[in-house]
Amino acid sequence: MLSRIAESLFWIARYMERAEDTARILDVNYYMLLEGAGQPYRVRWEPLVIITGQHERFFAQYAEPDPRAVFEFLGFSEHNPDSIVECIANARENARAIRDRISRDMWEELNALYLELRRAQVDAMLSSGPHDFCTMVKAGCARFAGVTAATFPRDEGWQFLTGGQAIERAGMTARIVDVQYHSLLEGLPAGVEPDNHQWMAVLKSVAAYEFYRRTFHSRIDPQRVAELLILHPQHPRSVRFSIGRLQQALHAISGAPPETYRNEAERLTGRLYDGLKYDRIEDLFARGLHTCMTDVQRTCRAIGDLIARTYFYQEVTA
Amino acid sequence: MFMPSGEPRPHYRRVFSRLATMEPSEFDERCKLADLSFLLQGITFTVYSDARGVERLFPFDLVPRIIPRSEWDRVERGLAQRVVALNLFLQDVYGPQRILRDGTIPRSLVLSCKHFHREVAGVELPRGIHVHIAGIDLVRDSKSGDYVVLEDNVRTPSGVSYVLENRLVMTRTLPLVFQQHEVLPVDHYPIELLQILRVLAPRGGDRPTIALLTPGIHNSAFFEHSFLAQQMGIELVEGRDLVVDADVVYMKTIHGLRRVDVIYRRIDDDFLDPLTFRPDSLLGVPGLVNAYRARNVALVNAVGNGVADDKAVYAYVPKFIKYYLGEEPILRNVETWLCDDPSQLAYVLEHLPELVVKPVAESGGYGILMGPSADRATLDQFRERLRDDPRNYIAQPVVPLSRVPCWAPDAGCLAGRHVDLRPYCLYDGDRVTIVPGGLTRVALREGSMVVNSSQGGGSKDTWVLAGDE
Repeated sequence: MLSRIAESLFWIARYMERAEDTARILDVNYYMLLEGAGQPYRVRWEPLVIITGQHERFFAQYAEPDPRAVFEFLGFSEHNPDSIVECIANARENARAIRDRISRDMWEELNALYLELRRAQVDAMLSSGPHDFCTMVKAGCARFAGVTAATFPRDEGWQFLTGGQAIERAGMTARIVDVQYHSLLEGLPAGVEPDNHQWMAVLKSVAAYEFYRRTFHSRIDPQRVAELLILHPQHPRSVRFSIGRLQQALHAISGAPPETYRNEAERLTGRLYDGLKYDRIEDLFARGLHTCMTDVQRTCRAIGDLIARTYFYQEVTA
Repeated sequence: MFMPSGEPRPHYRRVFSRLATMEPSEFDERCKLADLSFLLQGITFTVYSDARGVERLFPFDLVPRIIPRSEWDRVERGLAQRVVALNLFLQDVYGPQRILRDGTIPRSLVLSCKHFHREVAGVELPRGIHVHIAGIDLVRDSKSGDYVVLEDNVRTPSGVSYVLENRLVMTRTLPLVFQQHEVLPVDHYPIELLQILRVLAPRGGDRPTIALLTPGIHNSAFFEHSFLAQQMGIELVEGRDLVVDADVVYMKTIHGLRRVDVIYRRIDDDFLDPLTFRPDSLLGVPGLVNAYRARNVALVNAVGNGVADDKAVYAYVPKFIKYYLGEEPILRNVETWLCDDPSQLAYVLEHLPELVVKPVAESGGYGILMGPSADRATLDQFRERLRDDPRNYIAQPVVPLSRVPCWAPDAGCLAGRHVDLRPYCLYDGDRVTIVPGGLTRVALREGSMVVNSSQGGGSKDTWVLAGDE
C-alpha cells in the first residue's frame, strides 16, 4: 500500500472521530450549561474550549466564551482547524485524493455529509442551538462508519483506519476526563456533593451514561466515572480499550507477534497499554489524575509522530 | 434531428416520440435527478479562476445524441487511419526523419514546434507505439453533413470518464428511452486500456506494477484520474509517491520501495521531470525521463507527442496519410492557413473578421480569436500578434457546427444547440480500438459555438446505434 494512501486513511479516521467527538461534547454540555446556575460564562463554558485544545485561537477571536461563540467556534469556525465543519472538509479532501481506494458508498456518505454541512444556514443553526446540527453530524459519521465496516476490505488500509480512530479517541477521552475533573471538583468545599447532572453530562459526552448505570447501580461518583472512562476493558470509548485497538492495528500492519514490538510506535503503545491494564484508579489518583492524563495525551502525540515516520515518511533507501 | 421537411430524421424518431409523451415538468425533474447524481458522486471539475478552486458540475444534457451505424462506421475507419498515420509520423520524427529529409513537410516547421523534444529522439519504445490514446476532435459540417477533424489530441486527452458516467446516469434516469434502442456499449474502455498498459511492461511477466500518475487533487481532471485508476484496478500516484534510483522507478509503500513498470501519466511533458524539462515543476519525478530512456519504465502516452498536436503540423496530416499509408484520407481536415507563410499570412490579415485564429501549441480553447464576434480592438491586437510571431498561429474558416436537440430549461422545451464530438481511440501497435461514440460537448448558450467546459459548455450521452434506426 502506498504511504500516501495509508496516511490519508489514517487521517480520514482521525478527522471523522474528531468531528463526532466534538459534536457529542457540544450537544451534551451546551444544554447542561444553559441550565447552569448563576456562574459567569467564563467559568461554565471555558472547559469546553479547553477540551478541544484550541484555547488560544478561541480567545484571539472572541472576548467571552458565551454559548453562541462556543457553538460557532466548535461547530463552524474557519479559524478553528478542529471545528466540525473543518474536520469533515478535511476528511472529505483526503477521501477525494484516494477515491479509487475506498468504496463508492464511503465516498457518497462522506460527500453527502459535507454537502449537507455546506448548505447549513449558519445563522439559523446558531440561533436554534446545536442539537439538530450535532444530530446531523453524529448521524453522518455513523453512516460513514457503517458503510466503511460493511465495504472496506480487512487489509492494511483497514488497520490504518482503525488505528487512526483509536488514537484520536484515546486522546479525546483523556482530555475530557482531565478537563472535567479539574473544573467540576475545583474549589468545591469539603463535604459538598459534586453536581450530579454535570457528571451525567461527562458520561454522555462519551456515550457511556447508560453503561455506567448498568455497571455500577449507584449514584454518580466522580472517581468511578474516571475509572470507567480511563480503565474499563470493554467500553469502546475508554482510553484503555482504544489503546488496545491501536496496539492490535499496529501489530497487524507490521506482523509483530503479541508481546513484542518491531518499531518505536509499537513499543510506546505497548508500554502505555500495560500501564492501563494493570493500574487501578486509586493508583492514578495517587500519582495525580492530571499528570496521568497529560501523559496519555503526550504519549498519543508521540505515537502519532512515530507512525508517520515509520510508514508515511520513511527514509528512502533503494 | 429534423429533416428539412420538419420530420424527425429516422434515427431520432423513437426518442422523439418518447420524449413527446413526457410533460416538460417531468423531464425537468429527471434533469435535476441526473444533476444530483453527479453532485453526490463528486463528478465535478475544478475552476481555477477562483482562489479556492471551486468544484463545478459539468452540465449534463439528458437528450442523447444519436449516430446511425453506417455514419459511425465511416468515422471509425477514418479515425483508425489517422491514428496509425500519426503514430508513423512520430516514429519517423524521433527516428530516421525520412519525411523531413525528402521535404514532404518542412524541417524547420517540425523542429520549431514548442513540443518537439530532442531529449527523446532515438528512444526505442515498446512495440513502437507513441500514440496509445488519442482523442480526435470532430465536428459535423452542417452544410455537407460530413465529419471533419478539428484537432488531434495525442498528448493527454481527457474526458473519457464523462463518456462512461454519462451513459450510467442516462440509463438510470431515462431507462425507457434507452430500452427502445439497441445502443452499442462503451464500458469496455478501461479493460481495453489496461490490456495495452500490461503488454508494455519492460520486464514482461503477468503481474506488472502499473500506475496512473496524476498532478493531484487540485487538477481539473482529477475525478477522471481516480475514476480510471479505480476502473482498471491500478495504483493512483502523485509525483511525490515515486522515486527514481539508478534509472529504475519505485513507489513509496508502507513497507518500503516497490518497482513500477508502466505509468499512464496524466501530466504534460513539461512537468514530467524537473531534471529534463521545466526545473520548477513540483508535479513530476526527478529522473523519470532517464528511466524511460533506459527502457526500465514505459510511459503512456510517449514523451514528445505534442509535435503531432501542433496546429501547423495538423495542416499536413492528410499528406502524412498518403505518405505513410498510400491511402486517401477518409476524414477531411478543416482548411488551414499557416501564418508562417508570407502569402498565407497576407490573406489571413485581410480576412481576419471571417476567420478563427488559433495558437499552434495550446489546448483547451485558450488564446483563440473568433473573428466574426471580435471587436475592432481585439482584431487589431491579433493583427499585431500575427505580425510579431506568425509561426505561433494558424487560421481557419468558421466551421458551421451541426446542431442537435437539447433541453432548454428556461424555455421548457427542446432547442437546437451546437455540438462537437471527441471519440477516444486506443492503439496497441496492431489495431485501433474505438469506443462507439465518444464525448459530445454542447455549447449550451443559444447560438454559441464554444463547447469547452471552461467556457460554460456541457456534455451529453452519445449513442451509436447497432443499426441505422
